[in-house]
Amino acid sequence: MKNKIGTALGLMTLGLMLVSLFMVFEWVPTEADQGIVQRIFYFHVPCAWVAFAAFGIVAIAGVFYLWLKDQIWDDLGYAAAEIGMVFCTLVLVTGSLWAKPIWGTWWTWDSRLTTTFILWLLYGGYLMLRAMADDTEEVARFGAVIGIAAALDVPVVILSVRLWRTIHPAVLITRSGEHGLEDPRMVITLLVALAAFTALFGWLLRLRFQQLRTRTRLTILRREVALIEAAVGDY
Amino acid sequence: MGAFAAVLRKDLRLEIRSGQSTIALFALSLLIMVVLVFALNPQPIDRARDAAAALWVALVFGGMLGATRSMIAENENGCMRALTLSPIDPAALYGAKLAAAFAFMAIVEIAAVGLITLFFNLDFGADLARLAPSLMFGTLGFAALATLLAAISSRTRAGDLLLPILAIPLFIPAIIAGVKASEAALSGFPLAAASQWLGILAAFDVLFITLGALLFEHVIRED
Amino acid sequence: MARPAVETRALIKTFGVVPVLRDINLQISEGRCALLTGGNGSGKSTLLRIIAGLSQPTSGDAIVFGASSRNLGVVRRRIGMLTHQSWLYPNLTARENLTFYAELYGMPHGDGLAEKWIAAVGLAAANDRVREFSRGMEQRLSIARAMMMAPDLLLLDEPFAALDPDAVAMVADLIRSAIARGCTALLTAHSQLDLGIEIDRYQIVNGRVVPFRDESRAPQRSRIGA
Repeated sequence: MKNKIGTALGLMTLGLMLVSLFMVFEWVPTEADQGIVQRIFYFHVPCAWVAFAAFGIVAIAGVFYLWLKDQIWDDLGYAAAEIGMVFCTLVLVTGSLWAKPIWGTWWTWDSRLTTTFILWLLYGGYLMLRAMADDTEEVARFGAVIGIAAALDVPVVILSVRLWRTIHPAVLITRSGEHGLEDPRMVITLLVALAAFTALFGWLLRLRFQQLRTRTRLTILRREVALIEAAVGDY
Repeated sequence: MGAFAAVLRKDLRLEIRSGQSTIALFALSLLIMVVLVFALNPQPIDRARDAAAALWVALVFGGMLGATRSMIAENENGCMRALTLSPIDPAALYGAKLAAAFAFMAIVEIAAVGLITLFFNLDFGADLARLAPSLMFGTLGFAALATLLAAISSRTRAGDLLLPILAIPLFIPAIIAGVKASEAALSGFPLAAASQWLGILAAFDVLFITLGALLFEHVIRED
Repeated sequence: MARPAVETRALIKTFGVVPVLRDINLQISEGRCALLTGGNGSGKSTLLRIIAGLSQPTSGDAIVFGASSRNLGVVRRRIGMLTHQSWLYPNLTARENLTFYAELYGMPHGDGLAEKWIAAVGLAAANDRVREFSRGMEQRLSIARAMMMAPDLLLLDEPFAALDPDAVAMVADLIRSAIARGCTALLTAHSQLDLGIEIDRYQIVNGRVVPFRDESRAPQRSRIGA
């Protein structure tokens, strides 16, 4: 039963991705100012959307974990963090690849990229915490607290970075796609790409989440076995 | 209220008692500024900006060291467990520890302000007074953050490395706002000019003090 | 029978996958003194910590004065605990430590109370920092800390460890007085003790708590004079 959902999700992801690739490389018109390079936008933005959404999931899972104390929420949060981190890294990499041909530098401190970079640092802190704490229950609790704190921090980050960049605008022109995608085909391509990446995220998240769930169940089973073995030792 | 005061008084007394290491911590925070002076080689034109930067770097790094030490003292003979068992409300316990951390950091900040006036050739006057809101909000916010995070990091491996990894990214919006507000103050602008930055700092403080009060019990609970 | 002061129901505690406490069903009535013996690592300390709400059971429950140990609330106030760690601040003096705890628990006249209890455990060095104390002195002060707020439940993990015979007699006396005024006590030790009062004896074997049955060989009890 479960495999059917997984397969369906996988196939849907594959389908959407193929359509999306076709649209990005063949169908959508080239943008006037930036040329072909602008097409990276259709990967860059969906990755950013996924990175932020994943972070939201980490935080919400954290809240539920602290409230209900069920390991399943921690497994969900951890899975979302790992995968979110990957997408967040992709945002930064695609942003860098985009910046170089357009503005000649590998990095720019414009408000969106800066905010994403801070998000990347927050993810990094969360993952490093989980790597460094020993006990499972304790690390789950700590992770939940950090996830919640970080998610609530993000709005403040966005505010402050935006204000910072308003006072000192990045020397570089803002990238198109933020105001007015002129051609409707661009809008459609973006939406399809968003759908494709969301599906990809969902598929990956499910896979990782189920892995962690299995590990949790295994631990519970081992515990049961140890209890039974000890009970045998009574006689 | 009595328990809150008891913990605050105890923490302050312990900070004073640690004698040499408190002084060393002080010295370290201030030496960080010395590094910045040599690194930045400040020119008169940039002095407001450089001084503001030095202040906030000292705030962040000094604050982290102080917060870690306070938690280690609590973990030493298992005293944190005694506090968990006691009738004190976890939020009140958080508040007391936050207040103690803030007091310590505030003293370091005041000394730092004195130093930057010297190092960066500032004028003792209205500019420094205008510095107060941004520094106070910033110190309060960082104390709130560090108190919560140090409770986590002090119970993990390489906790003293983990604290900056967790704290600095979270604190970035306050650093952005705080340095800007401090710079405006030192450049002679009236407080109203920095109102947006101060607003962000205030929002940060409210957020993390509330968060700390709500979540502290989850991080001090054992096992 | 009146509601027990402490009750555990099917209490299980595992660390990771290793079971330490298995299906503990223990009842201690109010006003009783209970002694739990067992070897190192047998789980005595773990059980006490769970009862005090400092550690959460893997499954099952511990009930203290009617409240679950997972959520003791106001019952915390009524528990006095002694663990292997002293819960004392090394950089504070003996008096400062006790005064702090008195204030923390909202006891009036903390200074007087601190003085009284420092004397009660036979410590002369009230103004010395705990950092300078010997293990025995630290233990005595820690016992004072645990008993100072007139708790209704005393959880004492190896209270007689590191004490010289005089101190042992003193502490036994304090425990007897506490029982006399209606306190309930759960003590742990490595071997049997005789406190001159009636004691419910249990031992922990292979993670389970069973009543202690004195085999007919000569009792290896240390008699602590009444």
